[in-house]
Amino acid sequence: MFEKSDEQLIAKALQGNKQAWINLLKRYEKPIYNYGVRMTGKHEDALDLMQEVFISVYRNLATFRQEGSFKSWLFRIAHYRCIEFYRRKRPMDGLDDIPEIECEQAPSEQHIDSAIENRLLIQAMQQLPLAQKSVIELKFFGQFTFDEIAELTGMSANTAKSRMYGALEKLKTLMEVDYA
Amino acid sequence: MPSYQNEQLLGMWLDGQLNEQQRQAFEQRCLDDAGFAQQVEAANMFNLHAQHYVEQEVPQWDRAATFDQTEKTPWWHWQGLSGLSIALSVVAMFMVVTGFQIKVDEGAVTISFADKHSSQELERLVNDKLQQYQLEQQLAMNRFTQSLQQQQLDASGQLTQYLLTSSRKERREDFAELIKFINEQRTDDQLFYARQLNQLQQDVYSPAQTGMNISKE
Repeated sequence: MFEKSDEQLIAKALQGNKQAWINLLKRYEKPIYNYGVRMTGKHEDALDLMQEVFISVYRNLATFRQEGSFKSWLFRIAHYRCIEFYRRKRPMDGLDDIPEIECEQAPSEQHIDSAIENRLLIQAMQQLPLAQKSVIELKFFGQFTFDEIAELTGMSANTAKSRMYGALEKLKTLMEVDYA
Repeated sequence: MPSYQNEQLLGMWLDGQLNEQQRQAFEQRCLDDAGFAQQVEAANMFNLHAQHYVEQEVPQWDRAATFDQTEKTPWWHWQGLSGLSIALSVVAMFMVVTGFQIKVDEGAVTISFADKHSSQELERLVNDKLQQYQLEQQLAMNRFTQSLQQQQLDASGQLTQYLLTSSRKERREDFAELIKFINEQRTDDQLFYARQLNQLQQDVYSPAQTGMNISKE
């Protein structure tokens, strides 16, 4: 079946076509939701974050210049929304601060079902500072290059590489423990 | 061979951007640096985990709320606005360069370029100007004629008045002279007659006296 491109759906959504917007949203809700799950570690927070991201995307849809891909633009908004989300949740924490894991609220079988691997991966990611977690998320799950990550997050490509390097070091230890 | 930092080398490897030289450097680093090799292994492992990550289904949520909560796109965000402004600028430049003009004259719309008048328009303009000039000249001539007439009338009146006045004066003077002359004549006549009478008296009285004297004698 012929599928409309992102640009066509955006143009229709801008004209007030609700169905076009819903179709565009359905196309990207799963990656954004899973991005939220991995970044926040909670289904509820992921759902809230996804809603905030899509509200923000629609409000700024007219400013999308189609210079890059819609996916990149969407993840850029998701990244900044995620930072805001964290600032609201933990206003005293910096981007490079290591989060305090709340044992009772840590992702568990109750919150994050599916595979055990998923759970362990998400658990490990929750122990990274937001700045490192963003890079890991965009690199390994978003499949963005470091130049794209630099553009999305506003940091330099070298900084992104350094953060990824540091994050891998931590993840290696964490996942060794988890998988042990 | 340029030296690369571990972070850069790993980053390029993950992006799949290693050239032959960098690939050699990368492989050599993996052999020489156990820490780096472990990092590569961790990246590989994490990449594998990421690939095996089972994407979770999105729970039911109110998708339409994101549409309803949004504001109407303001008109100045209309994507065609920039294109429209460029097109209008081009049209404006074209109009300026070509001297484009639109004229509505007596129910007829005329579109012209190069800011030039048509021959009809030119003729009409010249005729208008000539008529205007003629009218002005005629008015000026009328005014001049009237003024000249008035001047002549004034001069004639003044001349008549002067002639009348001067002739009256002359006549009066002439009469005065005549009367004076007559009076002088009369005075002369009176003197003459008086002298004559005296003479006569003398003549009359003188012989009588002489006779009386003679008779007395």
